[in-house]
Amino acid sequence: MKIGLEVHVQLPTKSKLFCPCPTTDAPAPNTHVCPVCLGFPGARPMMNGKAIEYGILLAKMLGCTVRDTTWFARKIYFYPDNVKNFQITQYDRPLGEKGMYYLNGKKPIRITRIHIEEDPGKIKRVGDLSSLIDYNRSGIPLAEIVTEPDLSTPAEAREFLGQLIRDIRHTIDIPDDGERSIRCDCNISVGIERCEVKNVTGLKNVERALTYELVRQTKLLKAGGKVVRETRRFDEERGVTISVRKKELEADYGYIDEPDLGIFNVKELAERLKIKESPQNMTLRISKEYGIDERTAKQFVSTSVELAHLFEELAAATDAETARMWTSGAVSAGWKAFEARGGGDTAEVISLVGKFRAGEITDTECNIRIRAFLTGTDTDEVRSGSSDLDSMIGEYLDVNPSVIEDYRKNEKAANRVIGHVMKQTGGACSSADIVDATKRLIEERL
Amino acid sequence: MSATSILSSLSKINEKYQMFRTITSDTEVGEAKFLFSAKDNLTSKDMETCSGSKILEGYRPPFDATSIARMREAGGMLVGKTNMDEFGFGTFSTNSAFGVPRNPYGPERSCGGSSGGAACAAAVMEGHVAIGVSTGGSICCPASFCGVYGMVPTYGRVSRYGLLDYGNSLDKIGIISAKASDLGKYIGIMAGSDPKDPTSCMQPDMGARRKLKSVAVPKDATEGVSEDVRTAFINGLETLKSMGVDVATVEMPSLKYAIPAYYVIATSEASTNLARYCGMRYGHQEGDLSLKFDDYFTSFRSQYFGQEAKRRILLGTFTRMVGFRDRYYSKARMVRQSIIEEYRSVLGECDAVLTPTMPFVSPKFSDISKMTPLESYKADILTGPPNIAGMPHASVPCGYDRDGMPIGMQFVADQWDEGVLFSAAEEWEKNFESVRPEVSI
Repeated sequence: MKIGLEVHVQLPTKSKLFCPCPTTDAPAPNTHVCPVCLGFPGARPMMNGKAIEYGILLAKMLGCTVRDTTWFARKIYFYPDNVKNFQITQYDRPLGEKGMYYLNGKKPIRITRIHIEEDPGKIKRVGDLSSLIDYNRSGIPLAEIVTEPDLSTPAEAREFLGQLIRDIRHTIDIPDDGERSIRCDCNISVGIERCEVKNVTGLKNVERALTYELVRQTKLLKAGGKVVRETRRFDEERGVTISVRKKELEADYGYIDEPDLGIFNVKELAERLKIKESPQNMTLRISKEYGIDERTAKQFVSTSVELAHLFEELAAATDAETARMWTSGAVSAGWKAFEARGGGDTAEVISLVGKFRAGEITDTECNIRIRAFLTGTDTDEVRSGSSDLDSMIGEYLDVNPSVIEDYRKNEKAANRVIGHVMKQTGGACSSADIVDATKRLIEERL
Repeated sequence: MSATSILSSLSKINEKYQMFRTITSDTEVGEAKFLFSAKDNLTSKDMETCSGSKILEGYRPPFDATSIARMREAGGMLVGKTNMDEFGFGTFSTNSAFGVPRNPYGPERSCGGSSGGAACAAAVMEGHVAIGVSTGGSICCPASFCGVYGMVPTYGRVSRYGLLDYGNSLDKIGIISAKASDLGKYIGIMAGSDPKDPTSCMQPDMGARRKLKSVAVPKDATEGVSEDVRTAFINGLETLKSMGVDVATVEMPSLKYAIPAYYVIATSEASTNLARYCGMRYGHQEGDLSLKFDDYFTSFRSQYFGQEAKRRILLGTFTRMVGFRDRYYSKARMVRQSIIEEYRSVLGECDAVLTPTMPFVSPKFSDISKMTPLESYKADILTGPPNIAGMPHASVPCGYDRDGMPIGMQFVADQWDEGVLFSAAEEWEKNFESVRPEVSI
């Protein structure tokens, strides 16, 4: 089975792609419109430079080649939501081409291209004979990411899309409801011929639509039937795909260059724009660069990119192993509290670990002081709470060294210790503190 | 004659010559410093804009074209919208849905196209400034047929915001007037970058005025032109020499490919521009609304587009389809590049390239009706090259045939070097005795 996706991402610009109309939610239909986004005769597009910037950032994130010049094209088709009866998009010189993106850092998914285009309006059908059209959406900037058919299962497609959305959000700051502003055309073939399911919204629906198609196409082929090349749509309520139109070949849109926009020289812009490292790439890099396992690296990065940065600073100030131990121990334990207080300068943590490594303070003392710093509590308070706890856990681990071995295979082994200490302390200590202390002490003995 | 009385007699003269599609109802000039007209494919807030097409009948745009807005800001009063070939599709202004303008030198003859109404207005109205638009020769052709001065600036010099597009990469807004000094004056008012038209944004200053010292005449410039035109052109060259201008003959072999390349690019672009006229958002809206949308669009477009518009939509759609795009559209773009290069190399040696403007004087309507589309396309053979290259060019009257019909010649300068054309036209005016048509207001 082969699956390829065409992912449409709404770019987070304040105004539309070719006019100053706002992209925010409109108070009523057809209120955020002007002669340009309504395609009035004589009005012409003005490029929103920010959209090009976002597009380049995404192209870089996807490992695409960004050529020195890029231009736009007219894609001609007649449809009531398409104001000019042509859409301004990119054709023979998209913003990015031939990228590579790694699913979970391992499986390569080839990226065919990424280009920018304008969204058409929205059609609302009312009864059999009429439709209402809202052009507020007309001209909203979209990036379209096209993959090669390198995905193998509906679950994998969902996973890919999830990772992609996380990385996009990180790279261009799309809002948290980003998943809603992402639409997907799913191409799937079980045998030779493929079907396209248009405009699926949300991760879950992508998986559902693809699974439905997988079953449908497989059954059809087993029964000796043939899959016809066609465009289908996904009915979210019923969870089925429905044929919309058959197509023997790609429709010929008669593309020509968009003469009103000209050629964009993006060489300098592309060189100047640096992308933030994606969480996925950061995980891989940290794991590789510092020789720690991927799971730990992922844990750092997914807790927060700042935590991962602190780990790197610690490693630079001390060594990778010391940094790993303290980051997964005391630092991770106090991180949520630290962020809740607004985060801030972490130089104190680096200095404390430095002192520990130089033998100036003990690990217990270092631990207490880091916790006190991160949680903003008095050292004495932390000390009184944790020393008993630490020795209790220490004793248990001394008696049951197998816990350490088991923990290597499965972190759940820590639960034995936690359960034991919970019973012993009888509610005197918070469970979060017990969990943190247990993990820290086990990590120290690993 | 005062400006106010021009306005009051405008309707009457228009009945005879049909150069206006819409005329202002005002007969009071008020504070206006000058009167001007605009071709009917430039949007105007207070007047219907139809681009000569039935499909836009009754359409009143919500905004002024930048060129019109700038003329108004400079104190001009827009007196009307001039008649034209539908969407600019034609050489004789015979393709308008709203009547055919008549040549002031002979009402049985064409004003030229597609800015025929504009040239006619410039010829018959005293002190009138007409804004025209040229895609493949639509300013110089009618200027030549109506015995007036017409100038097309460099592509991008005047903002196209508010222009109902024909071929976006070719369309240029310019001026037609009976007075040579109006060209520089009014193009200067309309010119300049406009954030609403990105192709107008990056531009050098208007070329400094400098005296025309030398012209190059392509070797085959008079090939296939009528005897009267050749004679007038040769006399024109003699006059230029007497004015101290050096005349050299040059080879410009690629110019003959301009017309096929022009028609491919222009119709490819036009077929996409006209897609929006489907009876849904502006202009007319009628027909059976219970039809499926594409059936409705088809029936509406079939009914309201003129014959020539349909021909160009079909031609343009054909040239950009898969399998033909490389053979036609892509190749035409390469031809365009080599024409630009050829002009550049010749204009590196001299100030302007000079040819006759049209290969014949304005034909009679009875003869036009016998012409095939291809024959009328061929009439653009001399105006096509500078247009496809985006070079500034100007047509000046240079003689009259035995029937008194005017003949024009065309100067082409390097991109952004309009200054040399302004002074060339003004110097020429001093040395050429023009004959005004008998009708005038």
